Amino acid sequence: MALLEIENLHASVGGKEILKGITLALEPGEVHAIMGPNGTGKSTLSNVIAGREGYEVTKGNVWLDGKDVLAMAADARARAGIFLAFQYPVEIPGVTTSAFLKTALNAKRRAAGQPEIDAMELLKLVKAKTAVLGMPYDMIKRALNVGFSGGEKKRAEVLQMTMLEPIVAILDETDSGLDIDALKVVSEGVNSLRSPDRAFLVITHYQRLLDYIVPDHVHVMAGGKIVASGGKELALELEAEGYAKYLNAAA
Amino acid sequence: MKPSLITDHPFGEDYAKRLGVAPWRGHLPGPKVEEWRFTPLRSLAKIAFVPATADIDVDVIPRNVPKVPGAVRLVLVNGVYRKDLSDTDLGKGVELSHGKVAAKEGSSLVALNAAYAPASLALHVNGKAKKIIHIISIGAAGPTPTALHPRITLTAEAGASVTLVESHVGLPGEAYFSNPVASITVGEGASVRRYVSVDEDSEDFHLATSLVKVAGGGTYEGFHLGLGGALTRQEIRVALTGENANVRLNGAYALTGTSHHDITTVIDHTLPNCTSNQIFKGVVDGESHAVYQGRIHVARDAQKTNAQLVHKALFLSRGPQVDCKPELEIYADDVQCAHGAATGEIDPNHLFYLAARGIDPETARSLLVEGFLADGVNEIGDEAVREIFGAAIGGWLKRRQA
Ligand SMILES: Nc1ncnc2c1ncn2[C@@H]1O[C@H](COP(=O)(O)OP(=O)(O)OP(=O)(O)O)[C@@H](O)[C@H]1O
Ligand SMILES: [Mg+2]
Repeated sequence: MALLEIENLHASVGGKEILKGITLALEPGEVHAIMGPNGTGKSTLSNVIAGREGYEVTKGNVWLDGKDVLAMAADARARAGIFLAFQYPVEIPGVTTSAFLKTALNAKRRAAGQPEIDAMELLKLVKAKTAVLGMPYDMIKRALNVGFSGGEKKRAEVLQMTMLEPIVAILDETDSGLDIDALKVVSEGVNSLRSPDRAFLVITHYQRLLDYIVPDHVHVMAGGKIVASGGKELALELEAEGYAKYLNAAA
Repeated sequence: MKPSLITDHPFGEDYAKRLGVAPWRGHLPGPKVEEWRFTPLRSLAKIAFVPATADIDVDVIPRNVPKVPGAVRLVLVNGVYRKDLSDTDLGKGVELSHGKVAAKEGSSLVALNAAYAPASLALHVNGKAKKIIHIISIGAAGPTPTALHPRITLTAEAGASVTLVESHVGLPGEAYFSNPVASITVGEGASVRRYVSVDEDSEDFHLATSLVKVAGGGTYEGFHLGLGGALTRQEIRVALTGENANVRLNGAYALTGTSHHDITTVIDHTLPNCTSNQIFKGVVDGESHAVYQGRIHVARDAQKTNAQLVHKALFLSRGPQVDCKPELEIYADDVQCAHGAATGEIDPNHLFYLAARGIDPETARSLLVEGFLADGVNEIGDEAVREIFGAAIGGWLKRRQA
């Protein structure tokens, strides 16, 4: 059974249909990449899966390891194992990154019937993970994402992912804003999480990321639909030729 | 004639006559007084409070009083200093005495306090105080509604420094009306930090006045936390009486039920080169009512004044009311003064971000509320106190959820 199964998903915002029938299956251990022009519905897809309010799902289903995702509230989806690395992580003044991480981790642990993490354990864990991602440890004392540079925000998203160890991770343009070295470091962070009981959906505009995080499947999304699918070579082709021929197909 | 302890006297005409003061209700500011427009005292005036007795049987300190590490505890019960409940070693640089309450100057509430206060708890700071002074003012009404008039005087000599924490709490019983007055004098180049927490029970009244004078080069840092009570007002009047004096006045409040909480500040800049900074933040829920009034007066001679004032309130529901009235009265021309005020609700984008990390809506709201208030709380200069006040807010949030 696929870890994440999206079946004929239709969704609209304010009466306007954005997703027009998306079907995708992420098998255990797989990495799928989605590429596509701006405004095509890639972030909409990730938001609908993560459970953001304001979207109306008019048709279709999403299954996480056999569980009905659309029936769950956003927080329950996350605890069940869905993780969305935001295209635009929000700044939350006053809430320290460490307090946030502790709360998020404990929410997950409680749901799994595990004991809560104590301050010392958390410290150790964060120290180890930040070191791997090349982040200054001190960052967790700062308010969540507040004043973080674009790249720092993206690293912080990946830090959260490595701590929460999701079943399905959706990375929405996690590479945008990262410098060349950070791209490598963050990709290594993602790769270190690749495992037979996890799957990734990687949304990106740049083939370069896929040199580091090598996908099993690449999909082209245009006009709210998947208009083409292939192997990693599809990304190279898109890089060279652009979306022109797919836009015509979608229209 | 003023009794040292007030016992068993009704708060009536006869008693007032004997003291030579106006009956207590006559001291209450009426609804026509502009400064009290948003905080009517009708509900207070309806209750027949009698003067507090000191001999009420109190031998424990309420549990909501935090333990401030390394601090000296001084305990007032119904405004009367209780040596038996207090620490005796004040550490270097601080002396304690029990002065007569002299001044009848000031507002009618200060006069009421002066008329009925048993004695003042007077702290004299000479040099750098080693230990934090923690004053615990306990209201204990017993079987009858009770009025208490704690009086605190703190004088920091030139160059002295001290940190004062005040916890205003109550014991179960009938309602009480606490009318504390604190007179604080910050000498030249002296530094006083004062952190006040008001956590009265939901039927109690608390009308506090702080009268602060800061001499040249002196610094006063005040923080006022308000977490409950039927009706609470924390009025802080600061006069900057020398050049290069600084005041930082901050606070946070969290209200639910029908609590009414009023912060009124008046900062008087009379001489050049002084600064005043204020950040007050509050969250309101239920049918509560918050008032913030901040007046900054800059006299003609007070050139190069820098005065800033911010008040922000967060609505947790549609029921509460918030009145905010910043006032700048500026008569000098070379100054930097600004005020900002805002109200808002919890941002759904913030909630979604936290939900996307598995955090349930209630916990997420608590985290965001604490985060919102943190701006104010983070201004607390003393790290231990900052944590204690933060934890008190956390406790309020837990009570609200329960
Ligand atoms: N709340 C909203 N109200 C109205 N339109 C919306 C809303 N949210 C998204 N849209 C529209 O839906 C379309 C898809 O947006 P989406 O963010 O999913 O695109 P995307 O593929 O992620 O683009 P990009 O590559 O630029 O990130 C856009 O036309 C956008 O304007
Ligand atoms: Mg997008």
